[in-house]
Amino acid sequence: MKETYRNGRTAFLFILPALLLILFIVFLPIVLNLYNSFFRWNSFEAGKTFVGFDYYVRLFKDPVFFTALKNNSLYAIISLICQVGGGIIIAAILEDKLIRRFQPFFRTVFFIPSVISIAVVGLMWQLIYNPEIGLVNGVLNVIGQSEWAHSWLGDSKTAIYAVVAVSQWQYTGYMTMLFLIAMQKIPMEYYEAAMIDGASKINSFFHITLPQIKEMILVGSVITVIGAFKVFDEVYVMTFGGPGRSTEVLGTMLYRSAFRNDEMGYASTIGTIIFIITLTLSLIQMKLGKSGQEVE
Amino acid sequence: MRTKILIVCMLMLALVITGCSSSTSSNEDESDKIVLKFLHKWPQPQYAPYFEEVVKEFESQNPDIKIKMEAIADEPIKDKLRVILGGSEVPDIMFSWSGEFARKFVRADAALDLTPYLEEDAAWKDSFIPASLQPFSSDGKNYGIPLRFNGKFFVYNKEIFDKHGLQAPKTWDEFLDVLDTLKEEGETPLMLGNESPWAAIHYLTGLNQKMVDQEVRMNDYNPRSGEFTDSGYVKAMEMLAELNEKGYFMDNVNSSSHDMVKQMFFAGKGAMFYVELEEFQDVENALKGNWGFFPMPSIADGNGSQKYITGAPDGFIVSSKTKHPKEAIEFLKFLTSKENSLKLVKDIGWPSPIEGATNPDTALKQVAEGVDYMKQAEGMAEWLDTDVHAKVADVYLSNIQLLLDGSKSPEEIIKEVQAVAKQVQSEVE
Amino acid sequence: MTILKNRIFQVIILVWFSLFSLVIIYPIIWLALSGLKTNSDFFLNTWSLPEEWVWENYKAAWDAGIGKYFFNSVFITVVSVVTVLLFGSMAAYGLSRFHFKGQNTLLIIILSGLMLAPQVSLIPLYKLLQAVGLYNTYGALIIPYVAFQLPFAIFLMRSYFLSIPRELEEAAIIDGCNRWKVYWNIVIPMGKPIIASCALLTAMNVWNEFMFALVFIEDSSLRTIPVGLMNLRSQLNTNFGIQLAGLSISALPMIIAYIIFQKQFVRGISAGGVKG
Repeated sequence: MKETYRNGRTAFLFILPALLLILFIVFLPIVLNLYNSFFRWNSFEAGKTFVGFDYYVRLFKDPVFFTALKNNSLYAIISLICQVGGGIIIAAILEDKLIRRFQPFFRTVFFIPSVISIAVVGLMWQLIYNPEIGLVNGVLNVIGQSEWAHSWLGDSKTAIYAVVAVSQWQYTGYMTMLFLIAMQKIPMEYYEAAMIDGASKINSFFHITLPQIKEMILVGSVITVIGAFKVFDEVYVMTFGGPGRSTEVLGTMLYRSAFRNDEMGYASTIGTIIFIITLTLSLIQMKLGKSGQEVE
Repeated sequence: MRTKILIVCMLMLALVITGCSSSTSSNEDESDKIVLKFLHKWPQPQYAPYFEEVVKEFESQNPDIKIKMEAIADEPIKDKLRVILGGSEVPDIMFSWSGEFARKFVRADAALDLTPYLEEDAAWKDSFIPASLQPFSSDGKNYGIPLRFNGKFFVYNKEIFDKHGLQAPKTWDEFLDVLDTLKEEGETPLMLGNESPWAAIHYLTGLNQKMVDQEVRMNDYNPRSGEFTDSGYVKAMEMLAELNEKGYFMDNVNSSSHDMVKQMFFAGKGAMFYVELEEFQDVENALKGNWGFFPMPSIADGNGSQKYITGAPDGFIVSSKTKHPKEAIEFLKFLTSKENSLKLVKDIGWPSPIEGATNPDTALKQVAEGVDYMKQAEGMAEWLDTDVHAKVADVYLSNIQLLLDGSKSPEEIIKEVQAVAKQVQSEVE
Repeated sequence: MTILKNRIFQVIILVWFSLFSLVIIYPIIWLALSGLKTNSDFFLNTWSLPEEWVWENYKAAWDAGIGKYFFNSVFITVVSVVTVLLFGSMAAYGLSRFHFKGQNTLLIIILSGLMLAPQVSLIPLYKLLQAVGLYNTYGALIIPYVAFQLPFAIFLMRSYFLSIPRELEEAAIIDGCNRWKVYWNIVIPMGKPIIASCALLTAMNVWNEFMFALVFIEDSSLRTIPVGLMNLRSQLNTNFGIQLAGLSISALPMIIAYIIFQKQFVRGISAGGVKG
């Protein structure tokens, strides 16, 4: 039977439209980008000056680059714990017999933040974090912990955590949803059989649920980690990298170089580095997840 | 089945194409008209109508010219201008700040030299307050036409000042005394919303100008020769930091935006607020005559002129690629005509650079007084963030927040400024 | 004993989830309510009900162009989503059901599209779009949106298709169906839940995209909602009531669409009820 599936040309026809679009719109710019990173130029001037690897050398001496790298990694780690880890646990609880009655409601509510534009979410949270009129400090005062009240986004030590927290607020429900989809494909019989064998819920979770949703865990962690290195809108809207450069991420650093400092070449260099980092990370994750399994 | 997919694909393609063509078809019936693209930065509902009315009037007076107007808000336009200037569809007339922000477009040959047009029509040229044209010039040539003439002043809540028997200070020492009294009486002396750091940079704009000798400063602000080694720059930052350390500013300056803090000032939560002339109308609307204003006080040991006012005009540049320079100038003349300038002052309360347009009859009394201050000033200290090279500005902008949260010292910051100024020098031909 | 333990478990979880729900819903309701306030009311009584209900804010935001932008956003989102679903499911089918040389390379190429930060492509894409005359048209947004959304859609659909049993398809092929028929009549119907999910995820990203919409569109008559929203903000003088009303208008359609379509979103809600 396998023979009918070994028709490369038909397969190619199915893939072609998507492939062409991705090649021309997503990849061609990457190649141009690599080329651009060897020149000093700005968007409104005609000439380009060849600078070779100068920008790469400068990037690795730029302290802001390491701040950005640190912030991106922080983003990735916290998001993995909250969105992937938390998402799996919440999804598993929602699938539990005792809670499933309430699942539609909670699942709907938890997902809502992720359909709202980051422009909206960002401005909303700016106001919530505001030390004078904001809700966070208001709540802290009410519960008698006013000494914890803080200028969350305005302090260069806490700002990045405040920004990361908003992302968790926004996307944990999204991940939960992805895991729910995966868990609902697990045949009920598996759990029933385990129950008969006397396995506890926690046991079933580790021995049935987790292995069965492995593929989705991989997908989830890949998009979370890559998303963390691509992050831009959240920071742009809430702090634009400030105070100082404390919340700078690679995305905003690139944007600042390109459109505020008129250094398109430097921006292209940062773009190339983002590409290399995300490519490496996802290759590692794919290897770890051995998602090549379909090539039997 | 394959046909079904094909039909779907074609339908979608058709949709996209009709989508595209619908955007262009609207101009077709006007193909014999000259189309001028005009880009400004005031899309907000309170300002946009003014421009719509003026454009409509212009079109009815010039039936063969069609103005295609677009507006993009303050922050996004900084990015947008850079992108469109690199493209093939550059607007004929576009908004620009004065100073280095416009000069970098001049260096890139993106802006048209307007000097001949100004020379040709002396009446037009003379209608501008001279100080408003100067910041738009580079090497003695004019590249921009100002629409507004903006200054920066401290406004104060008269109720609070009267309660503590205070008066508008003239010197920096008096200013510090006033702040001290307010602080001791339990008021918040100064409101500042520095979430977008241009707010504190506007303080530093004036302080730099007052502390550093004019010639030295101009030399440093020029990207080709900037060094920033004068000790005045450090002192200027120290003075700003001192205002913060002594607790004269409100708490958490870095986490509120200017427009939010403004509402708090209007609600009486602070005594003084550093605002632009164009905001006076809002202050009047909220405080109803119960306020006064003064320029940045003079500093006894400053090396710069103490008779400068902080502020700058902003307005329009013409693209060097425009096919209709004559018509573009025609439109700019119309925009800055006495009649429309009076309308500008009256309708939206902005200070006009046209001689006599901002007078007590048309404008708020304080706005007219503010413009008088600027006319009598020896010169203008232009916004630091648009008057130095973008990279130098960026270092100042991001570090000023750290100066105010105490994590960086003036010396550390000036070192970074010097380093980037050096880098800029090597890159600007 | 077990019943009691289950009760306690249930109560703890319900309390925890309810609190979480509150943290999510409260700010959104606050946003919509704040859109009804005057500027000073907003700053003086930030977290209480409006003193007077200024419905004009919503009208003002709508008239300030949000209405027009709204329809642009709807059009662009619908066309992009349909295209992504079609091309994406085709590619996912091709990648999950066939074995051929270079398959892994193709997979990697497509999936690495996931890793590219769109900011990187901004300037080259801008020049590309101008060169082919698409700049400042709906196409200038739709085509990049489709291209950037495809990898994730393919990623999701492929892994779902892999998990669908193949017996039915193989039987259909024995019966003489060609692969297009198999794709259209078997794989697509079986893949409905993931297609619905992809539709929502794509719609969500397209609806909210900001950067391309800012740069690739010039005419205000073609602008989408997020860019329009930024235009309500001014550095010096923002009317927060109108601004927040505009934010609410842009957020509500997605929330409503999601609540309506969410039944499609996770498979087997009715089945779930039976299972419980």
